[in-house]
Order: sequence, then C-alpha cells, then structure tokens
Amino acid sequence: MKSIKDHIMFILPLLAVLIGIEFILIFGRVTKAYEEKLRSDYAIIVSSKKVLTTPYLRSIDSDIESVEAMNKQKIASEVVSNIGKENVDTILKELPHFYRIHLAKYVTVKKLKEIEKELKAIPGMVTVDTFGESYETKRSLFSVVTTLLNIFMTILFLVSILLIIKQMEVWQLAHKERMQIMEIFGAPLMLRSGVLFKMAFVDAIIAALLNLGIFLYVQSKLNNSLLFKYIHADASIFFHVKDFFIWLGVSFIIVIISVLFVAFRASEAIEE
Amino acid sequence: MASVIKAQNLTLAYDKGKNVIIKNATFSIEQGEFVFITGPSGSGKSTLLKSMYGQLKPYDGTLIVGGYDMRKIKRSQLLQLRRNIGIVFQDYKLINEWTVEKNVVLPLIITGYSLDVQKVQAEKLLAHVKLSEQAHKYPLELSGGEQQRVGVARALSKNPFLILADEPTGNLDEFSSGVVWDLLENACDQLNATVLVVTHKIPTIFNIPYRHFIIENGGVHEVH
Ligand SMILES: Nc1ncnc2c1ncn2[C@@H]1O[C@H](COP(=O)(O)OP(=O)(O)OP(=O)(O)O)[C@@H](O)[C@H]1O
Ligand SMILES: [Mg+2]
Repeated sequence: MKSIKDHIMFILPLLAVLIGIEFILIFGRVTKAYEEKLRSDYAIIVSSKKVLTTPYLRSIDSDIESVEAMNKQKIASEVVSNIGKENVDTILKELPHFYRIHLAKYVTVKKLKEIEKELKAIPGMVTVDTFGESYETKRSLFSVVTTLLNIFMTILFLVSILLIIKQMEVWQLAHKERMQIMEIFGAPLMLRSGVLFKMAFVDAIIAALLNLGIFLYVQSKLNNSLLFKYIHADASIFFHVKDFFIWLGVSFIIVIISVLFVAFRASEAIEE
Repeated sequence: MASVIKAQNLTLAYDKGKNVIIKNATFSIEQGEFVFITGPSGSGKSTLLKSMYGQLKPYDGTLIVGGYDMRKIKRSQLLQLRRNIGIVFQDYKLINEWTVEKNVVLPLIITGYSLDVQKVQAEKLLAHVKLSEQAHKYPLELSGGEQQRVGVARALSKNPFLILADEPTGNLDEFSSGVVWDLLENACDQLNATVLVVTHKIPTIFNIPYRHFIIENGGVHEVH
C-alpha cells in the first residue's frame, strides 16, 4: 500500500499547516475579544477646570471615543465627609470637573503616552491619570503570548514545508519518467502534470476536511468553558465557516506550487 | 515543395561542442520517402534522430524539420511538432503504469481524441502488431519484443507525417520483424508518411523504393 503512504505523507504536513493557520485565526479573534474587553473596562481619568465634550476631545485625538462626566457630588462627599452642606457647596464650586475618557481602540503604550501629553496640553486641564502601569502589564503579557505563538507557528510551517518538499521529491521520482515520455510526444505541461494535480487536490481537500473535523470536535468539547466566559466570548470564536475556505485556499496554493515545482523539475533538459 | 527534413552543414555534439558526433552533414529528405540509416554502434544514429525530435540542439549548421528551424524552435513549437511525429525508441520508453492499450494511444490522448476513437485505434493497431491478447496487460508483463511492438504501434497511432524509428526490429524474430516492416512500408506507401529507420540490418525483401544513409566517422553518406 505504497500509494496510501504517499498520500498520508502529503496530507499530514498539509494538515499541520492548516492547524497552524486555524490557531493563528483563533488567536487573532481571542486577542481582539480580549482587547475589546480591556478597552471597554479602561478609562483615563482627568480633571479639568473647563467643560470637556466628546467632539472637542475627538478633534484632539481620533483614538478617543467618548468622554463621560463623573458625579462631582459623590466625589466630594467621599473626599470630605463630616463637613456641612454649605461647605460642600463651596468646595464643589472650587472643584474641577471630573471625566472618564474612553478610547476607541486598544492602543499601544506609546500611543497612550502621546494621548496623555495631548490631554495635559489642553488649557484648564488639572490632572490626567492613564493608569499606565497596569495597562502595560496586561498588554505585555499578551504580547509575550503572541510572540511565542508566532515563533511556534513559524517552526511548524518550516518543518511542514520541508516535509512537503521531501514528498514532492518522492512524487517526482515516481512520475518523472512518465512525464518525460509524454513530453517527447508533445504533451503540454498541464497535461503531463494532470495526474499529480488530481492527486494533490484530493489530498488538499482531505486535509481541509480532517482539519474541520478536528476543530469542530474541539469546539464541541470547549463549549461553555470558563475560558470563553473570561474573554467575554462564546465558542463561536473558535471556528468560523469562512476559516474552512481559507484552509482550502491555502492548501490549494501549496498544491499548485508543489506540483508545478515537480513538473518543471521533471521537464526534459534539451541537450546542447 | 519544401523538404520534410533539410540538413545543411549540420554538426551535432554533446557537452557544448566538446564531443562532436556528426560533422558537416548535408542532406534532404522529401515527403513520403523511406530512409534506412545504418552505421557502426556508437557512430551517432540515435543522436541524429534525437536532433530531429528536438532533444538535442544542433551545435552548428542548420536542421529544418517540418518547417521548423531546430536551432531556434521554441518550447511550445517543439511540443506542437512532436505531436505530429511518431517515434520508436531503441529502449521502448513505454509508460509502465499504463496498460498496453493506453500506451498505444498516448499520441491520441495528448491531442485530445475521444475515448471511442482511442479504443477503435488501439484495437486496430494491436491487431496489426499481433498483440490483441495483451491489450490490458502492463508493459513490464511483456517480453522485450512485445514491448517493442507496442512502441511501434504507438508511433503509428496518430498517422504522423514523420516517423523516426530507432532499431524497431532490434529485438524481434523474423516473423515479428516482417510485421513491423509491413506496417512501416504501409505508413509510407498508403499514408505518404516520411519514414526514417535506424537498423543494423536492411530487410532482404522490401517492397517499396528506399534510400540508404550510412553514418560513419562523423559523416552522413548516401549509398546509391
Ligand atoms: N547524452 C549523451 N551525452 C554524451 N554523449 C553521448 C550521449 N548520448 C550518446 N553519446 C555518445 O555519442 C556517441 C553516439 O551515440 P549514439 O547513441 O548516437 O550511437 P548509435 O549509433 O545509436 O549506437 P548504437 O547502434 O549502439 O545504438 C556515442 O559515443 C555515445 O557515447
Ligand atoms: Mg542507437
């Protein structure tokens, strides 16, 4: 059953590539969901002598989404309990306005510093607090995971591509003679490599279907798990139907490149 | 009318001119002619045929085959030319993963003839070369002589305008050789194909007029 082994040796590395791609897609979606959660929980707290409005702040930086006034009364009473009503009113008059500023997206720390600078430059601004440190911690944890994943995926891709090339050499040996005889009788490249294309496309579809099986299975196992709750997402983050077409596209591209590589290498060299 | 093959001061060499096999050969062959090529082993008979189906580029001089200059021919033109040449190889060159029947109609498959046409033509040719019984076998299940006849049938399957046959009876007994000579004679006589046959032994009984080239010491000479 040499031919079944031939197929498996092509399908497995292809499958590894597809699993890698799906991991990247999933991680991209998880990152997005997590960042969205961080973003929606996050606000810059400022105090200002002047009234701040959303359109005004937006004109200063487009990454600012909205501004929300905080209840001065509550702040004042928290700060100064045990003082008379009149005193509170006087203090309130003196107190600046407090605002929570929400950002439109999860920005980098550098960008956050920039926004801080821009806000501080606003006339009448008293304090700006970005809670930069905790923001940075959450962010760096995420970027470590992203870097690790990228390294891992790069290695996985390289190994898979090497395996695919190895298998291509096996195919080339097996098909070279036939392709050369066909060439001597005038068969164009596409006809010569037709069998290979058919074989490889079938393998590509099998690999994509296997991948589909794997991820649907994992998804069903992970449904309602805490992980998803934590990032405010459900299992649908795991597999999107369009992923399947991305896999097919990628494996077809790999197939076409591989087969043409074999076909060109098997082309007869005209002696001179 | 233009010659099917025209060689002028043709020099053929391997290894970029280091190994000259044929030097300054001049000859021309017309449509419908039958040519025997003989010569000692290693003299360059197969090499000359190779240049005619474009696997070896002429080192010097000109070689025109079917209207194409073989030194300037493009890859796509070469494929086009080859689809109309029937070649019999000294080492058969059959496709071992294909049945005998499918091997015979390779030129028809390449040109895109329907399965029905392929079937009819395969049956006819295999009957001619006395291999009807072996149609569904694979080349490696045949004897050398049987494989050689499959190669001959394949070369004839598309009624080519030019047939290049390298020792087509090299492995055959007298009876099978007779079958092959009849087929080649017929292709030339009835279908007006130009036929070049490399052989070490010209058959004693041959029913149509022929020319005879000898390759020796790098030269191509015609025997009159
Ligand atoms: N691919 C090649 N590269 C280099 N030299 C070659 C190649 N093919 C053949 N030769 C050399 O060219 C010479 C002629 O070879 P060719 O095969 O044309 O002889 P031939 O006349 O057909 O001989 P035979 O009757 O034995 O088949 C030989 O000396 C051979 O060694
Ligand atoms: Mg020879």
